[in-house]
Amino acid sequence: MKKTFLWVVAAAVVLSLAACGGGKVSLTFWTSHTPPDSDTLKAMVDVWNKANPAIQVKFVQVPGSETDVAKLMTAVRGGTGPDVYFLDRFTVAQRAAAGVLTDITAQVKKQDPNLASQYVPYAWAETQFKGKTYALPFDTDSRVLYYNKDMVKAAGFDPAMFDPAKGPLTLAEVQRIAFRINKTDKSGAYTQVGFIPYDTTFSQGWHYTWGFDFGGKFADLAAGKVTPTDPNIVKAFQFLHDWAKAMGPQKVQTFISTYSPPNNPPQQNPFLIGKVAMMVSGDWVLNWIRMYAPNLSYGVTYIPVPNKGDKPSTWSGGWSLVIPTGSKHVDQAYKFMSWMAGPEGQKAYTVGTLHMPTWLSLLNDASLFDPQHLFFKQILDISYSRPPLPVGALYWDALTQAENEVTLDQQDPMTALQKVADAVNPQLAQYLPLE
Amino acid sequence: MTPANRRNLKNGLLFVSPWILGFAFFQIYPILYSLRLSFTRYSGFGNAVDIGLGNFIRLFQDPLFWQAAYNTLYYTVLAVPVGVVVAIALALAMHQRVREVSAYRALLYLPSILPLFALSFVWVVFVNPRYGLLSELFRLFGIDPPDFIGNPAFTKLGLVLLAQLGAGGPALIFLAGIQAIPRDLFESAEIDGAGALRQFFGITLPLITPVILYDIILGLSYGLQVFTQAYVITAGGEAGASTAGPLNSLLFYVLYIYKTAFQYTEMGYASALVWVFFIISLVMALFVFRWARRWVHYEA
Repeated sequence: MKKTFLWVVAAAVVLSLAACGGGKVSLTFWTSHTPPDSDTLKAMVDVWNKANPAIQVKFVQVPGSETDVAKLMTAVRGGTGPDVYFLDRFTVAQRAAAGVLTDITAQVKKQDPNLASQYVPYAWAETQFKGKTYALPFDTDSRVLYYNKDMVKAAGFDPAMFDPAKGPLTLAEVQRIAFRINKTDKSGAYTQVGFIPYDTTFSQGWHYTWGFDFGGKFADLAAGKVTPTDPNIVKAFQFLHDWAKAMGPQKVQTFISTYSPPNNPPQQNPFLIGKVAMMVSGDWVLNWIRMYAPNLSYGVTYIPVPNKGDKPSTWSGGWSLVIPTGSKHVDQAYKFMSWMAGPEGQKAYTVGTLHMPTWLSLLNDASLFDPQHLFFKQILDISYSRPPLPVGALYWDALTQAENEVTLDQQDPMTALQKVADAVNPQLAQYLPLE
Repeated sequence: MTPANRRNLKNGLLFVSPWILGFAFFQIYPILYSLRLSFTRYSGFGNAVDIGLGNFIRLFQDPLFWQAAYNTLYYTVLAVPVGVVVAIALALAMHQRVREVSAYRALLYLPSILPLFALSFVWVVFVNPRYGLLSELFRLFGIDPPDFIGNPAFTKLGLVLLAQLGAGGPALIFLAGIQAIPRDLFESAEIDGAGALRQFFGITLPLITPVILYDIILGLSYGLQVFTQAYVITAGGEAGASTAGPLNSLLFYVLYIYKTAFQYTEMGYASALVWVFFIISLVMALFVFRWARRWVHYEA
């Protein structure tokens, strides 16, 4: 009696499992994004799930960052990786070279042989490695100079001089204004600062920002070398060094430690709370201002240039969707990915987060961009992007170390940048040829 | 061997087998595997390419290796002696014969049970140059508060200070050691006219030297593996932090291994780093034990 009962239960379980298997596929989608952007992503996944009962996607937030994908790597290696992952686009080449990503060239061809033409060219270029496609571009951004109109006025300057219609300001003009805005207290510590071009804790004062601004080239892909010692990059670092020296490098550090300590939330961004008058940053700050500082009187303009008459520039990054190695549902994952990274998904993300789409037709849809955002879209025409390298993260970190050394007055620009070349080129050599 | 003995041996091995298997698979095998990996170039996926001593040659020419080793040794050499002194001081405080001693013991021990990553977040606020409590303390004494976050000369010192919050654990062990000293030694010293200080240096200290050795070994072990505080303090910022602290001053060895393995996907090089670290640590531990023979008094 007992035995027959057990057999019946076992049979029922087996049958129900078999029935479950038919038709429905369950995918996992991981992202290291945090609110508010991850909330928009979750909403998009919910829309997909409603419309696609056969392919259900589970949205999971995981720890990580642009270059830290430890969780992804250990999971994939252990066979428990996700089906779709949200990856910083400039690391696609590096992750593809490491073997973490699935080659989706075939799926792309099946969907649309001309898919590349639907996307912004530099974004598509970042998804390629050795002639194969490993990712679909998602969003992009660009960087501008934000300025606080009230603080500029209080220092005795007319905010109208920042109007982009007048072209970019020169760095010398910006320095004049910034130094007038600097305020210190009795002990000499800064209480208010005009501009810290090389800050990277609350703004985008990266090596790439100023290297591109001075017209430098960071890599020679054809020769298979990185070129941090490009004369214009050296000039850019010299500019940063001189600015730091003029303000007192350690005093600036103390200001940053005070108002922009590690893990500082966006609500307390020094520009948003009126401690810093100007900063270089991207379009996501528009969303922060919208949410956390709606009464801020600010404007945006081109990143200032070294000499009068120089053409302005900016650079763009962005994210992408990839299928990590080991996914058991590559075709279904690709279907989901191509919707997210297609016109519908990108439109929802643009509206929700104020990043910019990489789908060309959306970029030309003016209704998606409110007036402040429009400027960011316009400068995409003059935007650079970072060279897609299999040693992207290593190069970035080495450049940051060099920028640190130069602005803390520990090293001269040429020596610091030569060290970067010496550290990165031998590693890059292992992946040659790049095409 | 008698049948009874053989049965006992079989049963004994059977009981221990889960641990032996676990140890073999999860400790021994990975250790040997990492030794094999240290002679290859491997991203974690695909094939491991054999490159002989390439990783080790690269290691000695890598400025970040020297930076990481320097940072770790600097921190350890500072944190271990300071830790021992603070723990002994705490133990002496816990040893005072007052009525509310259990309340004091609890208070002094409490900070050491707080999780380190939570303490690291609090630390960042605590040392804020303008608004932090620690900075206020410095100003109280008329000293300009050092910038423990932004000044590369002070970041490691800051972490040494932070580590002292964990002195409660070793303090308890020291307390046990101090309480184990027979009372009559102190009484006869007092009769001979020895003051408190002389009693401490003449009786207490020599008799707790085994505990000091234990604390040094423990401190050495924790110090060389410092990771959590540096990771928490430096993993923030826009686009992730790419230097560990200003001028990579918080790039500790284990943090560097982590970055190499997971951010740069170089498992082979990371394995080489690990083995060099192991050998250095082994040498240091051997040295400490050798040196300890000279000053540790074990009770006969």
